[in-house]
Amino acid sequence: MTSAIVGEPLPQVSAQEKTLGRAIYSGDVKVAGMLHAKLLRSPYSHAVIRSIDTSAAEALPGVKAVVTGADVPERAWGVAHKQQHVLARGLVRFAGEEVAAVVAVSEAVAQEALDLIVVEYEEAGALLDPEGALDGGAPKVHAEGNLADEINISRGDVEAGFAGADIVHEATYRTHSQYPGYMEPMATVAATDGTGKLTVWTSTQSVFLARQRLAEALDRPVSTIRVIQATVGGGFGAKIVEERSSVIAAFLATVVDRPVRVGLSRLDDIQSGCFSVPTRIHLKMGMMRDGRIVAKDVQVLADCGAYAGLAPEVMLVTAMRSDNMQRIENVRTKAQLVYTHTMPRGAFRGFGGTQMSFALNSHMAVMADMLGMDAIELHRKNAIRTGDVSVHGWNIGSCGLPECLDQVQAAIGWDEKRARPKGTGVLRRGVGMAAVMHVSGNRTMGNWDGSTVVLKVNEDGRAVILTAESDMGQGANTMLSQICAQELGIPLSHVTVQAPDTDSAPYCLGSIASRVTVNAGHAMLKAARQAQGQILEAAAEKLGCDADELSIVDGVVQSNKNGNLFAPLPEICRYHIFRRGGEGILVRATHDPQTVMMDKDHYGNIAPAYSFAAQAVEVEVDTETGQVRVVDTYLSDDCGKAINPLAVHGQSNGAAVQSIGWTLYEHLQFEDGRVMNGNLADYTMPTAESVPTIQSGIVESNDPNGPLGAKGASETAILPGAPAIANAVFDAIGVRITDLPITPEKILAGLAAKEESQHA
Amino acid sequence: MSGKRISLIVNGESVKAEVLVNRLLSDFLRDDLALTGTKRGCETGVCGACSVLVDGDVVKSCLSLAAQVDGKTLTTVEGLGRIGDLHPLQESFMAHGGLQCGYCTPGFLLAAADLLSRNPDPQDAEIREALSGNLCRCTGYQGIVDAVRNVAESTHGN
Amino acid sequence: MREFEFLEPQTLTEALAMMSEYEDDACVYAGGTALLLAMRQRMLSPGFVVSLGKLDELREITFNPAEGLRIGALARHSDVARAPDVQAHYPMLAGMAGGLANPQVRNQGTIGGNLCYADPATDPPSCLIAMDAEVTIAGPGGERRLPMREFVVDFFTTALEPGEILTHITLPPPRPDRTGLYRRHLRTPAEHRPVANVALTFRDVNGVPEDVRLVIGAAVPVAQSMTRAEDFLTARAITLDVAAEAAAMVAEDIDPISDGRGEEAFRRQVVRAITRRILAEAAGLNWKDAAA
Repeated sequence: MTSAIVGEPLPQVSAQEKTLGRAIYSGDVKVAGMLHAKLLRSPYSHAVIRSIDTSAAEALPGVKAVVTGADVPERAWGVAHKQQHVLARGLVRFAGEEVAAVVAVSEAVAQEALDLIVVEYEEAGALLDPEGALDGGAPKVHAEGNLADEINISRGDVEAGFAGADIVHEATYRTHSQYPGYMEPMATVAATDGTGKLTVWTSTQSVFLARQRLAEALDRPVSTIRVIQATVGGGFGAKIVEERSSVIAAFLATVVDRPVRVGLSRLDDIQSGCFSVPTRIHLKMGMMRDGRIVAKDVQVLADCGAYAGLAPEVMLVTAMRSDNMQRIENVRTKAQLVYTHTMPRGAFRGFGGTQMSFALNSHMAVMADMLGMDAIELHRKNAIRTGDVSVHGWNIGSCGLPECLDQVQAAIGWDEKRARPKGTGVLRRGVGMAAVMHVSGNRTMGNWDGSTVVLKVNEDGRAVILTAESDMGQGANTMLSQICAQELGIPLSHVTVQAPDTDSAPYCLGSIASRVTVNAGHAMLKAARQAQGQILEAAAEKLGCDADELSIVDGVVQSNKNGNLFAPLPEICRYHIFRRGGEGILVRATHDPQTVMMDKDHYGNIAPAYSFAAQAVEVEVDTETGQVRVVDTYLSDDCGKAINPLAVHGQSNGAAVQSIGWTLYEHLQFEDGRVMNGNLADYTMPTAESVPTIQSGIVESNDPNGPLGAKGASETAILPGAPAIANAVFDAIGVRITDLPITPEKILAGLAAKEESQHA
Repeated sequence: MSGKRISLIVNGESVKAEVLVNRLLSDFLRDDLALTGTKRGCETGVCGACSVLVDGDVVKSCLSLAAQVDGKTLTTVEGLGRIGDLHPLQESFMAHGGLQCGYCTPGFLLAAADLLSRNPDPQDAEIREALSGNLCRCTGYQGIVDAVRNVAESTHGN
Repeated sequence: MREFEFLEPQTLTEALAMMSEYEDDACVYAGGTALLLAMRQRMLSPGFVVSLGKLDELREITFNPAEGLRIGALARHSDVARAPDVQAHYPMLAGMAGGLANPQVRNQGTIGGNLCYADPATDPPSCLIAMDAEVTIAGPGGERRLPMREFVVDFFTTALEPGEILTHITLPPPRPDRTGLYRRHLRTPAEHRPVANVALTFRDVNGVPEDVRLVIGAAVPVAQSMTRAEDFLTARAITLDVAAEAAAMVAEDIDPISDGRGEEAFRRQVVRAITRRILAEAAGLNWKDAAA
């Protein structure tokens, strides 16, 4: 073993090229002969396309092609629901849907040509409100109706649970859509070559899922497409398989048979959707006087917009994941996903967890008050523990939730702040908290969750890793490099991770479901140990000793028994090539976690590990202007083992701020289904000035299934923010906000209503 | 539309170019000079990913025409440092988790450089204000603020 | 962005000639921050963009105790904020300019460009009105001066006649007994533009205000002097009750904007709050203990 690399707060392996401004993102890729495309979007939420006249656009000098729905493959693409085409064919289902594309010598010419396309629409009645989606007379988004998915789960005896409960509380919560807000708007460069192959450089969380979707949408064999991941400027779920511009770019390249670049403007990026799924959640819970939850009834109405995408999987998480965080037996859920004539919504960091976390943690706070019990105590009372099997059959191999609760309680000064007298001034402070869980990996994405890593050790003893798991900024490559370097006994700087490329990397699912550390980390560990074994074997041969007395320390193979027996690693690597059949060190390892697909009742251990987090916040509410400011926050993440604490804190801090944005600042506004604030001046994401110092803590529960004990981080961390803030607002001013976002107007209205009721 | 001949210094090198008068500075830097470290994030002057220094002042290059920088001295992220000779801010951003996806990083580095050139020993609140014209979606700003503070402290001897 | 001719006059006379020649087809280009956005969104498509970039005399900020402050229209917000004379003699203005938008925009946007664009969601107009600023306008027929309060006439509309160019903003000499405060309020801390702002100046005569200027901006289409409240406050010692009463008056008298960043009722409420606060602060009173 070398000096510790795993567990150290090291800079990300990509940090230098990024601070130098030399990392190449999709939008920076330039290919000789590259053309530029711009997309024409529907101004209507629901309309029949009567005709499209492209003649004037085609006549504009510099225009190479104008493509409409009439030109695209008939085959539809989608996750489970195959319902989208490269461009809208005859019908648009949301304002912003792509109806035509212009390929030209420059973006400016393409943009000008868009204005010359004449589309005759026949507007139809639009369904904009999910509440009315299942009414008989509602306009239909798809011929088969507006119900995209329904989930019903029942365990134990919910009615008996309620009948025996000491207290019962029910309430309805609403959560709104959040724009992922990655700083890099989607960009893709696609090019065909003389062999007929289509190469696509794009910003994606999964090159193989991207390739599969391109094959479907373009109706051509998978192997005729090569997807290469450029540096990704943030994804947050939207760049898994739901964004559409990479599909359009790839198709356009096949039409003009030349390289085509589609770089979305921010407005384009916002209009094209990929926001989180908005929900209405009705929650009813029964508890005993001691705080034990004895019954839970959940009804979810979720809106996926015009196309289902990943939203059914997202809703499944909303419907049942948080049940597993607590020791409950009686739970019933009915969840319905409906279509509307609005932008498609789907995967977003937390994958449906934030929505239910808001409802559950708000509810827990209310019921704690009803019981006269401290909210943290109530969470502790119900928390699932290491070794438990949850109500839905999840094997909890490690659970650091109690420790997370301890950390946030101490760090925020919970006991003192809860005990202080309620403020009566203009600015009032309050504290609130929330507790959450998330998966690390998930077999339900295709009943497979494996990961393969290929490791090459070069003749100079340095390593190259081939994987198709994706680093989108979260640090996957750094995690892999650290494990590799530590196991091989070489410096971190001697490890390189190749950018994911479907033609050279092994098949992987990519960065979804917080699965990369737990699965790819494991594969990496196996590969590194395998390579180490080969090196030691070769060294043993060369040095004339037993392999098991050798180890690699700081790039030198040496004997533990005889200090004179050693050789520099490069020497052994060269020896391996030249003296062992000409073969360099090239190993491959796969890790396929021992999980199961859930059964038809949604029962079964879907993930190798489960991660937990808790967060406490302090807010200050301006009772005259309704402004809420988070003045302090502490987020504690049970990530199993922090392979890189700097990265884990980075994930926690970023997640905490993204959740502050969702809760207080970001508010997508529609008028007749059109986005009214599709720019970053009006859709206001948090700035450095608008957030406090973010504090985060790490709990290491050392999961038995995690590589070196590690689980996923990051997604868990985005779950508790919203309810922690809502609970803190209630603590500050006695106003319970149940529909997000918490706007100044809602604060003022709540205060006014409270005043009225006190005077009534 | 006429063009304009411009002559300027970019990252210490003299540049002469003929630009269309409606060419944005950000496009000029990225597409004509291949300095793609300057990013396009919103093109409406909000996100700050396209920030560069013009005569030492941080500006958003998507809110400027290339024609406007005739005779000026520009620094883009490529001019801050190089391998083996990183700018202290680049080192500090790396060491303190001041970046993740990296897309906003060039803009933050230049905004921070402008701040420290005027205020070598800023308080956290001043750092946050000075960076309020730049958006980051990954770090929660904590690593960035820590990185800037650390440079100030190490060069200021606090 | 549509095509245009980029004209760079070397003198003001030349610039005025260009503006007269191209009339409605010409736009003055100062810092460019607002105009470029408008042109790229095709809200404006001028055939001729007249850049004032070469007119260095319009960047100058000069002060003399007898005549006051003279700010060239091309002075950037950061120039105004950092000018030693502004900091020393007009701290209220320096504070406003130094807190406007964000550092980059302050390094690019000019005070003249800001005023001429006449976007209500900004800081300078209310502050300048309360400081009795005047603007100097050059035109084909010569120069004219206008009180700042008469310069902006409506949403994105000024008193500039075709062919005219705003050249200077002037402020009267500072008076030792005259004090002022400027406060902006953001709808949420993540906002970039004020949803409301308030500027207050008055002559402190033994703790009692005289010659009161109380101006509301951003919440209203055009920064508005609150004359009824100004009269009410004149010669009246400010107590928390007086502040609250004046604030209620102001909230009633404004004609607020109602849009996606705040409906009318919300803006009235915010204006009431910040008005009460600025008055309390001016009198050294604590507004935080109890709501109005």
